[in-house]
Amino acid sequence: MTRERAERSLKMGESDRRFSFRGRPRSAREGETLLAALARERVPLLHRSILYHRPQGPFCGIGHCAGCLVRVNGRPNVRACRYEPSEGDSITTENAWPSPTWDVFGAIGLLRPGGVDTLHGLRRPAWATRFYQRLVRRFAGTGEPPTDAAARALAAPGLVRTADVAIVGAGDAGRAVTAALVASGVRPIVLERNLRVPPVEGADVMPATTAVFLPPPPETGERRFTLLGFREPAQGVRIDAGSVVLATGGYDASLLFRGNDLPGVLTADAAMAFSTPPRRVPFERAVVVGGGLRAAAVLARCASTVEAVVAPGEIRPEVVRAAADAGVPLYPRSLLLRAEGRHHVRAVRLRARSGGSKTHLSCDAVVLAHRRIPLTQLFFQAGATMDWRPEVGAYFPHVSPSGATSVPGLFVAGSAASVPEPDRPAHARSVADAVVHGPGATVTTGVRPYHGVPTELLGYYRELLRVPGHGRSVACPCVDVLVSEVEEAVRSGYRGIEVVKRYSSLGTGICQGRYCLPDALLLLSILEDRPPEEVGYITQRPPVVPTPLAAFASLPAPASEGVVP
Amino acid sequence: MTFARNSYRTVVVGAGIVGLFTAYHLARSGGGPVLVIDRGFLSSGASGRNGGGVRQQWETRGTVRLARESVEAYRRFGREFGFNIWFRQTGYLFLAENDAELARLRTVHTLVASEGLASKVLDAAAVAQFVDGIAPGAVVGGTYLESDGTLYPFPAVWGVYEAARSLGVEVAFGVEALGVEVRNGRVAGLLTSQGPVTTTTVVNAAGGWSGDLSRRSGLEVPNVATRHEILATESLKPFLDPMVVRVSDGLYFSQSMRGEIIGGLTLPHRPGTSRGTGSSPAFLSAMARALVGLVPRLGAVGVLRAWSGFYDDTPDGFPVIGEDPRLPGFVHGNGFGGHGFMLAPATSRRIALAALGQPTGLDPAQFSPERFLTPTPTATAERLQLG
Repeated sequence: MTRERAERSLKMGESDRRFSFRGRPRSAREGETLLAALARERVPLLHRSILYHRPQGPFCGIGHCAGCLVRVNGRPNVRACRYEPSEGDSITTENAWPSPTWDVFGAIGLLRPGGVDTLHGLRRPAWATRFYQRLVRRFAGTGEPPTDAAARALAAPGLVRTADVAIVGAGDAGRAVTAALVASGVRPIVLERNLRVPPVEGADVMPATTAVFLPPPPETGERRFTLLGFREPAQGVRIDAGSVVLATGGYDASLLFRGNDLPGVLTADAAMAFSTPPRRVPFERAVVVGGGLRAAAVLARCASTVEAVVAPGEIRPEVVRAAADAGVPLYPRSLLLRAEGRHHVRAVRLRARSGGSKTHLSCDAVVLAHRRIPLTQLFFQAGATMDWRPEVGAYFPHVSPSGATSVPGLFVAGSAASVPEPDRPAHARSVADAVVHGPGATVTTGVRPYHGVPTELLGYYRELLRVPGHGRSVACPCVDVLVSEVEEAVRSGYRGIEVVKRYSSLGTGICQGRYCLPDALLLLSILEDRPPEEVGYITQRPPVVPTPLAAFASLPAPASEGVVP
Repeated sequence: MTFARNSYRTVVVGAGIVGLFTAYHLARSGGGPVLVIDRGFLSSGASGRNGGGVRQQWETRGTVRLARESVEAYRRFGREFGFNIWFRQTGYLFLAENDAELARLRTVHTLVASEGLASKVLDAAAVAQFVDGIAPGAVVGGTYLESDGTLYPFPAVWGVYEAARSLGVEVAFGVEALGVEVRNGRVAGLLTSQGPVTTTTVVNAAGGWSGDLSRRSGLEVPNVATRHEILATESLKPFLDPMVVRVSDGLYFSQSMRGEIIGGLTLPHRPGTSRGTGSSPAFLSAMARALVGLVPRLGAVGVLRAWSGFYDDTPDGFPVIGEDPRLPGFVHGNGFGGHGFMLAPATSRRIALAALGQPTGLDPAQFSPERFLTPTPTATAERLQLG
């Protein structure tokens, strides 16, 4: 311990920020998130799930899931992956007693591994009603309420701006469109969720700013958009824009298997964030799930820490080559049955598809890189026509070759526009052209149709649902809904995602269905024996991510009500 | 064929809590066969979009009594219907910002207490005991009734839905009512988007769409659908027990069993503009300012989602219960003004009685459809249409 502290103080740089985490002194480097700082210091970050207090860990790495929630200076539900510690911060974990590692409430998960039926149970005897209610309330809730001081520290005047063009997302696609617009004499406002982003000459790039609400523009008068967002930590942002370009990109989806919310199971997004130089990934022997381009990208970034590649379907030649170079074994066409471990993944069990041989692999992480789908919340909110793409198993905005959606003035660039990577610079130029001159004026050439990686997940899940014990997989980690509870809802006669959502609470937690919905659509498609697009979709309500009340409160009421969809 | 039969004794329009409860009571009293149709899916209307409040503090005796009966029914619900609705009787707390509002609440308190309910008048200090972190000087006082409370609306809908179905009630979703068929001056059938159905009794329990159905059936009614927005926050450990309602602007919020703060605010609404269930930037900022102004520390709590639903408002604030005298066989069970869920158990029993042609026992000046036909200066009105 003394040596560890001595080493740390030796390594401590000039610009390091000292803070306390669970009462111990820690430090973060310039530009380092809390999650990265803890990973560097090899401090495990555990979170307990909302109802059964199962251990969960950082999962998505991009600020959507509930896996890295901490309390910072009296403010609950702060995401460690999106928070850069300041000097003197007091940071702790919540929803566990006495600690996330040894949480007495966790006993509920051990006593009732099949879940507690709060829909029918705990009704009798009538005199115990108050006791049950106190107990359940105590278990639930991800954090203690904030302190007055925490709320005061967030207060900031709102920011109201007007622009010809607002761009959401300053990734490659968003930056390319921005640059092309600047070249045509337009000065766009660019909202970027990442905490740090390089500036673009001639544009107003706002880092750490998340767009959370884009209602459809009014149907009469001047059709301008009202875009709501907030800048970390809680400054409200409202932009009145003539056109909006959404370059929100995509994310790596979840996968259903037993133990799928154990700490150590994480998405490729998280692995990529962890492995961005000079950082080191918090694992040494990962099982990478997926046989497509995303798996190849993970291998390219951290092959030395990969134990095996497991794919639900076939494995692409790029992955085969990369794995061969690194000496990583491949398991194509495999069912991932289970991740094992008490507080962290220690091994996975596989079975070859169609009832083949079983394999047991020791590992310390499972990286999900099998399915990448677009972030479409703002398109749904704005009322854009969406198309179901069966080969990806996700909805995409219906888009013209020049990036125009069905909503006049709303454009899309990048992966959500289904443009293959090599074509994106050319596409960005035609989107900028369409924004300035109108979609009809643009002639787009050389943009090829998109070929997604066939996921085969429908067939995969059909097989998985025949495996005994599959019901213990977590269908919705934010609200602790098991696959068995979804099956029970369908068995009881409740059909369609909107009804099953209300019956099971699936999709009502902190990620608002980001991670459970893509799998739930496939699951219900199988259980209800109809195509996924007939299962329906959960209405994408604002805000896109949890937005502090202080941020909305900092904005003056807009002059007109606008259109309420 | 969408429906199992060509002919039903009663067709209920609207599979919300009022329609399902009414169908349940009809089936139990031998009023079957009963068909319930709904334009959406189960809980797609206001029954699935409300804040779950159940209160007995009202300005008129008739409403207080219906509410008290409903509270008793919701207390028994878990045992009778097999679903746990988590009816938490931790009170409704009305807040007054000035003496005039407090005087109004005192009048409510006197009435409610005279009905044997243990309502209390609180001063500012006592209010602060209930709302941890309330801004100093934000209120002058309020009233509190512990036996009021909140419930989880969905399992209540599932419970009545399953109970009604087990009694043989048929429920069809995605079916819209287009108007009634009239023969010899009375209801002879219902036209639906899935074809006609023969019936002698139609119950209009269509909530925010009930005015449309009445008008499509040739009946002029004063019902107006108004959109009300609502939001839910991230979940927190328990810190707030009662449902809190502010008299001045209708701000209301409570903490759910799962720890979310769920609440809304009355905003001026242009009726009839749209029937969507979306949200507006105006609501989000107005609601956030109201909530943070009252309980400043909530500024550091994240909004998880926002949505809206429709109130079915009447000019005097009372629901409409009973057969329409202009069209025998057409029974109203609507006009609840955003309080259908909390009044459903007691009112649906009487709607079922009306559908069976029996007296409801309700004061006609307050609840009957006739009251809008003979325009007399109405003696009473229910203006505590908040929360």
